[in-house]
Amino acid sequence: MGHLTTRLFRLFLLLFFALIAVFPFLWLLSTSLKGSEELFAFPPDLIPQTLNFENYSGAFNSVPFGDYFINSFIIVSVTVMLNLLISSLAGYGLARFSFKGRELIFLLIVASLMIPKEIIIIPLYVSILKLNLADSLVGVIIPFAVEGFAIYMMRQAFLSIPKEIEEAAVMDGCGFFKMWWTVMLPMTKPTLITLAIFTFIGTWGDFLWPLIVLKSPENYTLQVGLSYMMGTFVNNYRYVAAGSVIAIIPVLILFLASQKHFQRGLFMGSGK
Amino acid sequence: MSLLKSNKGFLFVFPALIFLLLFAFIPFVRIVIYSFMDYNLMNDGNFIGLSNYSRLFQDHVFWMTLLNSFLFILATPVIIIISLTLALFLRDASARNSFLRSIYFFPVITPVVIAGIIWRWILSEDYGIMNYLLSLLGMENVQWLTLYPVNLFSVMLLTVWRGFGYYMMIFLAGLMIIPKELEESALLDGAGPLRRVIDIIIPQLKPVIIFVFVISSSAAIKIFTEIYILIPGTPMGNKSIVSFLFREAFERFEFGLSSAAGVILFLISLGFAFMNIRFLEKKWDT
Repeated sequence: MGHLTTRLFRLFLLLFFALIAVFPFLWLLSTSLKGSEELFAFPPDLIPQTLNFENYSGAFNSVPFGDYFINSFIIVSVTVMLNLLISSLAGYGLARFSFKGRELIFLLIVASLMIPKEIIIIPLYVSILKLNLADSLVGVIIPFAVEGFAIYMMRQAFLSIPKEIEEAAVMDGCGFFKMWWTVMLPMTKPTLITLAIFTFIGTWGDFLWPLIVLKSPENYTLQVGLSYMMGTFVNNYRYVAAGSVIAIIPVLILFLASQKHFQRGLFMGSGK
Repeated sequence: MSLLKSNKGFLFVFPALIFLLLFAFIPFVRIVIYSFMDYNLMNDGNFIGLSNYSRLFQDHVFWMTLLNSFLFILATPVIIIISLTLALFLRDASARNSFLRSIYFFPVITPVVIAGIIWRWILSEDYGIMNYLLSLLGMENVQWLTLYPVNLFSVMLLTVWRGFGYYMMIFLAGLMIIPKELEESALLDGAGPLRRVIDIIIPQLKPVIIFVFVISSSAAIKIFTEIYILIPGTPMGNKSIVSFLFREAFERFEFGLSSAAGVILFLISLGFAFMNIRFLEKKWDT
């Protein structure tokens, strides 16, 4: 194979996969702007003849789409904050203290990673019913307020901080809790940010658990709501497309704004 | 200073421990117990021994869904080939390459539901752009979403689309730690690009390839949302083990039977987890 053909082949492959990655988004965007007569046009139009923004207002008028968005936002924000708080406390405790049962607790945390969410949904649902939290945002949030992986990551972050920093603080008479908050936590900022981004994107896309817990439409998250719209508006895909575009924007913005942290987090996730 | 000898450490760990006990370990013990009971929301349930398991094993649909879940693992070699090839092409951190890396990552951050919605429209039998493209090539319409096992292939297409950018990043990380000297000496020996990939890069990347295989197959076996969105109207026999578990629990309220299916799924995913641990140990040893 000649040098030029190799390079052309490589370029072709790279562009082909770029097209595969991006085209479905463009197709979604284009569909969300089409008029009703254009939707089922055959051959399909790549670019809408006129831009119809009424699909977007249609999504808001036909279902409580604004509620979906707010619910998703509340669930994601609270889940991110609880995860950061609880896992950074636990990570610090595990990284810096020696106490009875520490090894066992660490082992339990690692073992919790091996229990798939998908199989414990039945007892979780029974608990949520008994706690009277069915069909509530709190019921969606509570069981996943902390994940074993987040604790593991925070422990690693605290382990990498030099111990001299705490020694100085201890000599100054700084209490442990104050030290965690004022001295140690700020030093794990890169890990906290990475964890926040990953938890945000993961929770934003969560489907199975919110689908089970949430029953009334005004409590739906975006993903549950979109799935409901997909089932209901079989012949009005334009609204579903418009809703999907809106639901994708927050993660897209977050992703574009945090390129560096993304790569960092991935490499941590791959066990490096 | 070694570790601080203080039980205050326990206070820091306590909230996390409570959450994990309440929402991971106790529920886990409970599904094992439910799997031996005829428990549901109306009825506190009695122990019925292995009845749930024997009902499950006699259920043809259960075996179909289990088989389908294993079939989804077939997407893994495809995903490895695509993502490794792209990683090899994008090794140099040029501006063009990092732009392309971000492009390939878009599908990864897309929520599964939205990815499913997009692909269901693309693969729609009457109006989908995929069948339109096939018709341009003079081919017949394909029933992407209703014909078994073509619809399993469609689900795999969705997982490959959402996954290749992620695994590419993992391979890029793996490529960074291959010693430069190995490749340089091969280059001096006159080895072409393909030879260098086969003789040096692939053997060096073996642990990463195994890692990707393990995580993508343990994700494949737990597939649910992709199926729920992409092929909702098809019979249960076209779906996955988690779809089966979901239907038994939340549409038929057969908590016992569903829990038994959950225990089996757990044992399978435990197998994958052990493969993962063995791989990690090997990696630390070397």
